[in-house]
Amino acid sequence: MAEKHKPAPMVDEVSDFEILEVAVRELAIEKGLFSADDHRRWTEYMNTLGPAPAAHLVAKAWLDPEFKKLAVEDGVKASLEVGIDWINSMPTNFGTPSDYCNLRVLEDTPKLKHVVVCTLCSCYPRPILGQSPEWYRTPNYRRRLVRWPRQVLAEFGLQLPADVEIRVEDSNQKSRFVVLPVRPEGTEGWSEDQLAEIATRDCLIGVALPKPGVTANAKLPVHPAVNPVDHDH
Amino acid sequence: MTNSVNKAPDTGQTLPDLDTSPIELLEKIKREGRAWDELSEQYGVDNPDPPWRLSLESTCDALNGGYWNISALCETKEDDRKPEDEDRKLDALERRQEEDELVNQHYADIPFPERQLLSLAHSMIRHGLIDEDDLAKHMKVVEKRLNMV
Repeated sequence: MAEKHKPAPMVDEVSDFEILEVAVRELAIEKGLFSADDHRRWTEYMNTLGPAPAAHLVAKAWLDPEFKKLAVEDGVKASLEVGIDWINSMPTNFGTPSDYCNLRVLEDTPKLKHVVVCTLCSCYPRPILGQSPEWYRTPNYRRRLVRWPRQVLAEFGLQLPADVEIRVEDSNQKSRFVVLPVRPEGTEGWSEDQLAEIATRDCLIGVALPKPGVTANAKLPVHPAVNPVDHDH
Repeated sequence: MTNSVNKAPDTGQTLPDLDTSPIELLEKIKREGRAWDELSEQYGVDNPDPPWRLSLESTCDALNGGYWNISALCETKEDDRKPEDEDRKLDALERRQEEDELVNQHYADIPFPERQLLSLAHSMIRHGLIDEDDLAKHMKVVEKRLNMV
């Protein structure tokens, strides 16, 4: 006898925001700003992205010193080992979109902690890390991290000893970054999959440290910038 | 121990004069629209993002490529631009900087990604990429279509 299947809950109404998203897109297509086919192919590609490849890159580097060396020296080449081809990727087949074809892997040490930001907008290594979290996009994070990195990291729950140097890497048109944290104690004998589970998105941005038993990102409130500044640089 | 910042080079780019005054259609959506946070809680859905989030991201990316075609986004853009095409694009950096400003002025109380969507629509209207009246009319068409069950 077949088991009774209980349908998953779903939102049973159409919101004004959903209508707005569809309407903006369809008007843009109607006006020839881009094609429906381009948009569809792009959305399909975006749906394939997530943080798993970067987590596996880190896990592999923890397990294999030679791979770690490769990752630090040539992040694009090392990405191939986790299924990400920055040069010949879909949907373009000749390079990842925009201009972020240079991935750099930032190796932490016990006395050096890297953390990534994009002060200008919200550049992020999407092909290997998926969509950026909301807080990463906010002016509050982007402006304050470069000025008070130790304090901002503390707000994420990451209290670093005073003798640990913090290095903030600012993403730009040519480069994207992921952090290679120090492998935590208590993970001896772990498999790549086990290690990848604790290499969370926040660890790869640099606002958290990997820890056995922690496999999810902290949900943090987002604050507005109290003293907005002009964009003139 | 010191902290250090490897800062991105200054692009020399500045914000164009954007009309940031409120847009009635978007103000109405802001007042009356139900964000995903609210809907997902009401219906017991645990997906943190609305189903249209990636489509919105794609629209943003497509507008950045626009007339070059998405498949040509890695090519040198400046040399390929034609003056007549300038009105048909919304550069990613320009859009993001406008989003910062518009969120700060109008949409700070709206959750993400709804505020990204409102900012995008705001920018597109102010840049003349779409017309507010056309958008209002098309929203009615879309609403009718999506509710035809």
